[in-house]
Amino acid sequence: MPHLILVYLAAFLFCTGLLIVVIKRNAIMVLLGIELMFNAANLNLVAFNRINGPNLDGHIFALFVIIIAVCEAAVGLALILRIYRYYQSSTPDQFSELKG
Amino acid sequence: MCIALLAPLGGFLVTWLMPGQAVRLATGTMAISFLAALWLAITTWNTVTHVTLPWFTAGTEVLTLDFAIDNRSLLMLVVVSFISLMVHIYSAVYMRGDTGFARYYAMLGFFTFSMQGIVVTDNLLLLFVFWELVGFSSYALIGHWHTKRSAGAAATKAFLLNRIGDIGFLIGLMIVWRTQGTFTLTDALSFPITSGWQTAAALCLFGGVIGKSAQFPLFTWLPDAMEGPTPVSALIHAATMVAAGVFLLIKIFPLFTETALVVVAVTGMITSLIGALAAMSQYDLKRILAYSTMSQLGLMILALGMGVVDGAFLHLLTHAFFKACLFLAAGIVIHALAHAQQPHFDFDAQDVRNMGGLRKMLPTAFVAFLLGGASLAGIPFFSGFLSKEAMLVALFTHASALSWLMIVVVLSVSFLTVLYTYRMIALVFLGEPRTVKTINVHEVETGMRIPTLILAACSLWLIVSWNPFDFKGWMHHTGHAGPHELWLTIISVLWVFAALFLARMIFGKRTPETNSLLRNAFYIDTAYSALAEKFTQVNERVTSFTEQRIIDQTLHGIVYFQVIIAHITGWVDKHIVDGIVNGTVRVTGWTGRAARSIQGGNVQLYIFWAIFTIIIFIIWALN
Amino acid sequence: MSFVDAIFLFFAGLSAMAAIAIVFSKNVFRSALWLLVCLLSLAGLYVLSTAEFLAVAQILIYAGGILVILLFGIMLTTRISGKPLVVEHRHILSGALTAVALFVLLSLYLPGLTVEKNMLSPEPVSTLGLQLFSQYSLVFEIAGVLLLVALIGAAVIASELKSKT
Repeated sequence: MPHLILVYLAAFLFCTGLLIVVIKRNAIMVLLGIELMFNAANLNLVAFNRINGPNLDGHIFALFVIIIAVCEAAVGLALILRIYRYYQSSTPDQFSELKG
Repeated sequence: MCIALLAPLGGFLVTWLMPGQAVRLATGTMAISFLAALWLAITTWNTVTHVTLPWFTAGTEVLTLDFAIDNRSLLMLVVVSFISLMVHIYSAVYMRGDTGFARYYAMLGFFTFSMQGIVVTDNLLLLFVFWELVGFSSYALIGHWHTKRSAGAAATKAFLLNRIGDIGFLIGLMIVWRTQGTFTLTDALSFPITSGWQTAAALCLFGGVIGKSAQFPLFTWLPDAMEGPTPVSALIHAATMVAAGVFLLIKIFPLFTETALVVVAVTGMITSLIGALAAMSQYDLKRILAYSTMSQLGLMILALGMGVVDGAFLHLLTHAFFKACLFLAAGIVIHALAHAQQPHFDFDAQDVRNMGGLRKMLPTAFVAFLLGGASLAGIPFFSGFLSKEAMLVALFTHASALSWLMIVVVLSVSFLTVLYTYRMIALVFLGEPRTVKTINVHEVETGMRIPTLILAACSLWLIVSWNPFDFKGWMHHTGHAGPHELWLTIISVLWVFAALFLARMIFGKRTPETNSLLRNAFYIDTAYSALAEKFTQVNERVTSFTEQRIIDQTLHGIVYFQVIIAHITGWVDKHIVDGIVNGTVRVTGWTGRAARSIQGGNVQLYIFWAIFTIIIFIIWALN
Repeated sequence: MSFVDAIFLFFAGLSAMAAIAIVFSKNVFRSALWLLVCLLSLAGLYVLSTAEFLAVAQILIYAGGILVILLFGIMLTTRISGKPLVVEHRHILSGALTAVALFVLLSLYLPGLTVEKNMLSPEPVSTLGLQLFSQYSLVFEIAGVLLLVALIGAAVIASELKSKT
């Protein structure tokens, strides 16, 4: 039963993260949403590890997900800073030079 | 037979091609034709020759050229070619120096060919062809001096009136074809047909006869036809062409019912009376003769209407001779007077009021006139008397109410004939010269005198039979030798002498003025001209009205319609067609913009679309 | 319901509510703090799933590291755009629909997973350590290298050398 709740929660958090990414007009908020999605995936992994035996594959996977999330957040933030300096704005709508 | 028929045609063609030798060629071919006709007559007398040649096919019907030569055709062949030959010889002198000399002879040959054609054919359609050819030749010859306006007008009038008669002929042809199924006369006449159609056919064909033989009401062309050269008048309008109508009537006589015959007789009666009365009052020499011809033709038609076929035919033959003789003699007078007036023409050479006392200066003509005139008047010892006798006797033996009326008419006409003949001779030859006193008239050449005298000789009684009082001879066939015959002869002789006496009393000394009503032949001609003019005017008004109102209105309507169509098309083009194009463009642009907005440059939108697609993919993949 | 279950439900509900609060908050700073709450409640959930090491790592790294970085970013970049720290929303409807659709989809297949065997690990930390350095040692090394590269890259990107602008 808790396993099911956890999986549902993970799905919910994932969708919420997606919502944040799509809706918010601030680049930092986009990063926030991405972080939330990472955490949702982590929760999913841990939830399934509860079922699948005493080996800790899920935990280790989640650990590495954290590491990668760190990398991504660092690089993303650097990029945002850079873009912020260029555009003098942090609204993703304004970063439309690649407009088709 | 072919020689007799085709020799004149050959003459026509040859003269056309070689105008230099016109006289010799034409006369030569005509002589050949006459001899051939004579030979044919002698060899095939009292037999009937039939020749049938295939002509053409119309659908399933095969039409043939039929020729039937019986006694009457033979007689006509001989007479026509003989008189034509005389005219050819005569014209050599009369028309000398004329500019259309070769053309004249060519047309003479052509005319003779056409006339022979009428005489020998047995097929109504073929006869119609020749009928028209004769009419055409007459037109060409009347208008021979085409520079004279009156000649052209006269030729046109002749042709037109002939044509009107031919309408009747055509309708008659159609009726015959419809009821009998064939044009061949010998076949057509042997089938019985219902009397209504028979009367109609007979009367329609009689219409053609009225036109060609100058009967009432289509006679007004004959006096005007005197505009042609006198030899032409002699050949065509005295002896042959006008006789063609009578000949046709004789040929189709079995077709006529009682009612048709009555119509024929009445027509002939009216014509002969009008002709005789008019001839009494003419001033122009040739016109006297023309009206006289008309009157005599009326007599023949009248006789035919009363069923006297043989008598009419006999009169046809004798009339041919003496009338041709009279015309040629008149030609002598006119020619002499015209020549004597040269180089300047002071007076009309044809007006009898200018003549008088010419018996001393032109004896040949005087003799010819005497002989021919006597025959015309019906004086005993002449052929005319015998033929009139034949008619009278036959009428008498007929003995119906109508025939008594006709006898009265015939007697009156012959009385008038004597009167006007005497008048004519008296005015021209007897008495003292009037205007001709001023010129020197001398006798004409032999070339003109001989044919005239030959024809004058043919006016004697010998042509008909040996007995000057008996008309039954080799020309005449039936014999009603009734007991009344002799006293009828005596009465007619007395009648003629009485008329002579009266004539001498009236015309002997003075030159009376004539009644203008009679002179203008009861103004019938004038009435015709006025009618034709009126008709043309009405026609013109109707046509111009139609053209203006109807045709122009139609054109206007069409134009307006076109303009309206053009406007509608323009509107459609501008709004609908262009509208479609513009609409398509707008839709495309909108679609493009919508599609383009996906790539808005907004990262979040990209993410959104990606997730959207993933959702769809999940739905699809997991279903 | 036992105490464990209650705590479990408490942390689960807290994380869900925090996530929703992030969505509805108009202040960037506040959203970041709500994220902190969410992360901490997730750590609690990890503890209840006998993943203590993970929970601690999460708190240390996420809450201590990433969130601080994010706050730095927020402070550095929200100066100029009118009112500071205020966020507007866009594409609300399409985004909401998409999220809901995705949630519905994901949850359609979940009831099939009602197998309930509870295989919690007895000694998670030592087992984790042993596995990490024997079975997954290569991955560990690669992860270290990745960290190094990422940090150097971030430093390079964010640097303000005058020659390249």
